[in-house]
Amino acid sequence: MTDAALDIQGCTVAYHDTPVLWDVSLTVPRGTVTGVLGPNGAGKTTLLKAVLDLVPVASGRIQVFGDTYAAQQDRVGYVPQRGSVDWDFPTNALDVVLMGLYGKIGWFRRPGAHEKEQARQALRDVGMLDYADRQISQLSGGQQQRVFLARALVQDADLYLMDEPLQGVDATTERTIMHLLHDLRDAGKTVVVVHHDLHTVADYFDRVLLLNKHAVASGPVASAFTDANVRAAYGTEMRAATEAH
Amino acid sequence: MDLLYELVTDYTLRTVALGAALLGMVGGSLGSYAVLRGRSLIGDAVAHAALPGIAGAFLLTGSMNPLVLMLGAATTGLAAALLVETTAHTTRVPYDSALALMLSAFFGLGLVLMTYLQRHAGASQAGLDAFLFGQAAALVTRDVYVMAALGGIALVVMLLLWKELKLLSFNPDFGHSLGLPMQLLNGLLTTLIVVAIVIGLQTVGVVLMSAVLIAPAVAARQWTNQLGRMVALAAGIGAATGVAGAVVSASMRNLPTGPTIVLCMGAVVAGSMLLAPERGLLWRMGGPRRAASPHPDSSSSAPSPADS
Repeated sequence: MTDAALDIQGCTVAYHDTPVLWDVSLTVPRGTVTGVLGPNGAGKTTLLKAVLDLVPVASGRIQVFGDTYAAQQDRVGYVPQRGSVDWDFPTNALDVVLMGLYGKIGWFRRPGAHEKEQARQALRDVGMLDYADRQISQLSGGQQQRVFLARALVQDADLYLMDEPLQGVDATTERTIMHLLHDLRDAGKTVVVVHHDLHTVADYFDRVLLLNKHAVASGPVASAFTDANVRAAYGTEMRAATEAH
Repeated sequence: MDLLYELVTDYTLRTVALGAALLGMVGGSLGSYAVLRGRSLIGDAVAHAALPGIAGAFLLTGSMNPLVLMLGAATTGLAAALLVETTAHTTRVPYDSALALMLSAFFGLGLVLMTYLQRHAGASQAGLDAFLFGQAAALVTRDVYVMAALGGIALVVMLLLWKELKLLSFNPDFGHSLGLPMQLLNGLLTTLIVVAIVIGLQTVGVVLMSAVLIAPAVAARQWTNQLGRMVALAAGIGAATGVAGAVVSASMRNLPTGPTIVLCMGAVVAGSMLLAPERGLLWRMGGPRRAASPHPDSSSSAPSPADS
């Protein structure tokens, strides 16, 4: 019995014989916010997808709350990358948030008044209630990001996996979102966030995973997020990564 | 007025118009999902791949029963769709290449079988070659009943799985994370699209059938930002243009029904892309002028902190 919300041991993922993740191990204690950082193509998204059983794992073991993902699926919330969907899809913000409840609503049934109220509450939590009826293509990048976040909140999960939830948002929205994630942690939830900005790591996260196909370092920010480890993870991309911010 | 009178009284025209309305309605509804998923061409592959199924069913049974032929068409159509998906997933062949490959391979097989049948089994007398470009005039009441029954089942399944199919079209990975069997739903949606295609083949033909799926959906998308309205509107446009095509082709001698239906659909698409508010070409061309005056959308981001 482990106390970890997420426990990954020796996980390897390959696309057509090319390894994308190589022997990655990561332990995420409950009630923490963990940042996953690494250069482009380091396998950050793939790592989340491996946990979610969206890509096949060639070897290794992944446990969620000491159990298989399939058994704990209801306790895991997912925020995909904003760019992974077509925002010109004919639907509005409230409808997207309601999708977070589709699993609970059950087959053949439509969302009712109770579900709609839950979705409205989640939109209120992310400051988007005024936009409930807005067509999603008419939302800004930051607003779309908050709609995705609301959809995850409405799931009321214990472990949240978020793929670049701060991508394309302005400074104010970034503060709002991080405040929300810290509230989740303080409520005992566990949050794993794929992130790209090295400068904010110390402020935002309790723990960090530096990834570049293999796990360069992981643990509390103070001990794992060292200059030497960052340089090892980013290599020659280091200059570009720091200059970009 | 004469035409309207004939539509009610003339058996052939009434049957053709009813059949065209049905295939337009079912094709428009289910085609909406194909269009939204960016998979418009899967209908083209399935329709072309239905030809060897039709020929094969006739070869095996010698029957011209619409159900038998549709079953044959659905079998090879679905097989082609599955092969496209499997090839794109398991090999390095890209999706569009896999699609083009299966379309031409199955269609080629269909043409070979048709030629064989024409020489040996009198398929032209049987009317099998009508499936190439469609022969609406050959529709009889029994065909329309079969179309209505199969199309009705497909639409009921679509309505029952409304939210699941919406999620499949918008964000399948998220659906999977909710524990929904997205792969099964994908297979089911493909099957529904195959049904929509198969019931229209006798009227429109394998070559033009994909237009029935795509055109009403593309036209409907221009007028609304809501999935429910889009599907309903696509069904309406499909049914109306189906009837219009049937009537126009009947009123002018020797105009083939299938192509006329497709041309009517094309006209509605062109009109929608030109005239629809917000998405239409004319609306967009008027954009700079309107932007100068206060517009509800341009001030929309004001209440919240300005996002990027």
